[in-house]
Formats: sequence, C-alpha cells, structure tokens
Amino acid sequence: MIMHRRKKSARIRRVAAVIATAGILTALPAPAFAMHISEGILPAPWALFWYAVALPFVAWGLRDLRRRSEELLWFKPFVSLVGAAVFLISCMPIPVPTAGTCSHPAGTGLAAILIGPGLTVVVASIALTLQALFLAHGGLTTLGANIVSMGVAGAYVGYGAYLVARHLGLPWAVAAFLAGLLSDWATYAMTSLELAAALHGDGSFSAMLSLILLAFVPTQLPLGILEGFICAGALKFVRSRKPELIRATAAGGAA
Amino acid sequence: MFDLFSDIFTYRDNALARIDPRAKLAIALAALVAVVTAERIVLPLCVFGLCLGTVVGLRIPAKLIAVRLAAPLSIVAVLVVLQTFLTGATPIFAFTLAGWEFTAKAEGLRQGMLLGARVLGAVSVVFLLSVVTPAHRIFQALRWFRLSRNWLEIAVLMYRYIFVLMESAADLAAAQKLRLGYTTKGRALRSFTALAGATIVHSLEQAERTHNAMRLRGYRGVMPFGPLPALGRRDRMILAFCLAGIASARLLEWGAGR
Repeated sequence: MIMHRRKKSARIRRVAAVIATAGILTALPAPAFAMHISEGILPAPWALFWYAVALPFVAWGLRDLRRRSEELLWFKPFVSLVGAAVFLISCMPIPVPTAGTCSHPAGTGLAAILIGPGLTVVVASIALTLQALFLAHGGLTTLGANIVSMGVAGAYVGYGAYLVARHLGLPWAVAAFLAGLLSDWATYAMTSLELAAALHGDGSFSAMLSLILLAFVPTQLPLGILEGFICAGALKFVRSRKPELIRATAAGGAA
Repeated sequence: MFDLFSDIFTYRDNALARIDPRAKLAIALAALVAVVTAERIVLPLCVFGLCLGTVVGLRIPAKLIAVRLAAPLSIVAVLVVLQTFLTGATPIFAFTLAGWEFTAKAEGLRQGMLLGARVLGAVSVVFLLSVVTPAHRIFQALRWFRLSRNWLEIAVLMYRYIFVLMESAADLAAAQKLRLGYTTKGRALRSFTALAGATIVHSLEQAERTHNAMRLRGYRGVMPFGPLPALGRRDRMILAFCLAGIASARLLEWGAGR
C-alpha cells in the first residue's frame, strides 16, 4: 500500500514537473531560443564527448567540400551563399499558435535537400559558431552537442526522409514536407537526449528524457509541421522561379 | 537583428580591442574551461560579474546586453526549477498546487544553481569576446590555430553575405507586409515560404556574381588569409597574466572544495 502511494506520488510529481516546465518554456520571451544547448550547461566530459562524435561528420563534410570545389571552382561561394540563406531563414521568427510565442525553423532539412547532408553539417557547424559568438545562442563549449543535434541528426534524417519518400514515388512537395518535419523533430529528440544524458544526475535518465521531450512538445510539435510547410513552400518557389538552379543542387536528381 | 548580430561595436577603440585576437581567444577558452569545470557557484559568478562589468564599462547599449542575456537567463530559470524538483533527496519545502505535490530538494537546488552560474559565466565570456574582437580577426586567429582553411573560407563568406541577404530579405518582408501578406495565418505561411524561397533564389544568384567577382580578383579556389605577426611583448604579458589568474582562481576553488 505504502509502495503504491510512493509510486503514485512520484508519478504525480513527474506530471506536475512536466506541466511546470512546459509552462515556463512556453512563457519564454519571443523568439524562444530553445533549439540549441546554451553555453556552460554541459559538464566538461559530456561537452568533449559530443565534440568527439561531431568531428568525424564535420571532417567528412569538409572532405566532400574539398573534392567538389576542386572540380567546380564556384562551389565554395555556392555553399557559402546557400548556408547564409539558410542561416537567415533559421533566424526568422515564426509564430507558434499552440504556445503563443515565436520560434524559428532549423532550416537543416531544406539545406540538406539543396547541398546534401555532409555539407549541411559543415554549414551548420559554422552557423552554430556564429550564433554562439554573436547571438549568445548555443555556445562554444556546447558546439559539439549542437552540431550533432542540428547538423548531424537534422541533416541526415531530413535528407534520408526526402530520399525515401522520393524512392516510394511520393511527390517532391510531400517529400520536402517530410524532410522539414522530420529534421526538426530529430533535432529536438537529439537535443533532449543530450540534455537528459548530462543532467539526470542521480535521478532516472528515462524520466528526465521523457520530461524534456514532453516539455518541448507544445512548441516543437507544431513548429515541426510549420517547418515542413516552409521547406516544401521554399523548394516550390525555387523550382518555379529558377528550375535550372535546383538541378545544380544535391536534390537535382530527385527533386 | 542587424545590431544584435553584427560586430559593429568591435571597431570602437579601447584597450581590449587592441589586444591580439589570438591572446583573446586563448584567454576566453581558458576562462570557459574554468567556468565549465567549476564545482561551486563563486567562480562562475565572479567571471560573470567581471565580464558584465567590462561590457557595461565599454558602453555597449543596455538593450543589446538585455537581448543577448535574455535567452541564457530564461534557460537558467528553467534549469534551477528542473533540478530543484527532479533531483536530490533532502527535502527543503513542499507545497501542493491543484492537487499536485511539489517537493524542492537541497541537492537539486544546489546543482541547479551551479548549472545556472556556469551558463551565466560562460555566456558572459563569449559575449565579452564578441564585443571586442571583429569577426574577421577571430577567423584570422582561428586560422593561426590551424583550423581547417576550407571551413574558415566558408565561414568568412557566410558571415559577409548574411548581411547582404538580410537587407534584401527585410525589403521583401516589408513589401509583403504592405501588400497585406501577413493578415491571416494561411496568408502569413504562404508569404513566409515565398520569402524563404526568394532568399534562396537570391543567394544562388548572388553566389554566381560573387564567384565571378572573385575570379576577376584572381581567385583560383583558395582564399588567402592574411598572416598574423608574432605576438608582441605586451600581448604575451597580458596572455601570461590572464592565464595565470584564471589557473590560480580555479586552483583556489578546487582547494576550497576539498
């Protein structure tokens, strides 16, 4: 009986904490910069671990960049400008109806369709460094973790979703929608995992993970859907105005 | 957005702006390591106070400071609440709200406050670095530290063209607003996707122009980074003094915790 009460009390505490956290997160001033792990949050061993995970992906992307820029002299300016555009899009505040706040798209799904996932990791690592330095958004100590969540998880999941959807014969607009949607959700799932792994302390990892995931739901569930629409809409615009440009991109063959 | 992201304040002449960027980067990284590995709140809070005081002393606009610190402060608040109510064992106080029982624990509160102090300390270090060092000098110093040339080339071009694209995107957004593009939710979404698409198209056209301009100026696939001279005596002394100060503070903190 006592055990049952304790379990019930613990469950109630968790639910209450979820609601309290969600309330706090949704009450943050607009735009809500919940996407990246802030400077100083991760303990040193975790910060180093995520750097070690991110580095091979960045190195792979740089190898791809070097190879392609040797063949095409215009490739570096092209990647830089696409990176700048995606960076700018990711800074544009969009209202999230359910939360009553503004958030911002990640843009990695769109970037992965345009320049491929390997180069998206490189562009994301630069964007995250610039944001850490000049916007206090993310951080230098948490750069590795943020590259893994936004660059690696977001880009590869988004690009994979796009390729699979096209392979299944779905229209490119649906494929782009899925790329935007899943890349956004993958970024948040990975961010939650990173935070829970570092912050659960002597508590339960799974409880902390589910709590953080649930806390992200009010903003990120609708934001992912919006990101899907933005990804599909932006690609539609590019296809209709400059179809020749899309042929030069990573999605050229599939889009 | 422009003021928030740009490095315009770094071009003001002051003692910190005149220090070599390599020395500033090394000091900032040492301070970050000291803050992130701190086991008590005193060191991170001292770093926060020192950096914030310096930023105020440099007459950086209060609005910019507030905007740059708003997100980290919100995160600190969430962290303290999360840790206080989710981790630890020793109850401090409990209350019931709408039938739910909340118990704050001492260990959780301590851990939350430590995490919050680390966030504030680390954010303030990077903030101070970014208001006394122009972006191109940071990239130059990073090249000196042997960071990948390709990565830095993309970074330099990205940073430069973000502002070009920002202006055109702002013009487009203003035109959309004038044409009532954001009056309903559906219209707003359509306008936003068109804005995103137009920014991409503009970026691709700009890429072609930029490449042609670079070719005309002798670009053959590799961008030159200007060499940095050897560290001057004054910069070496500042670097040694600051690193010794940070190491002493960290050792003192470590000794106090034992």
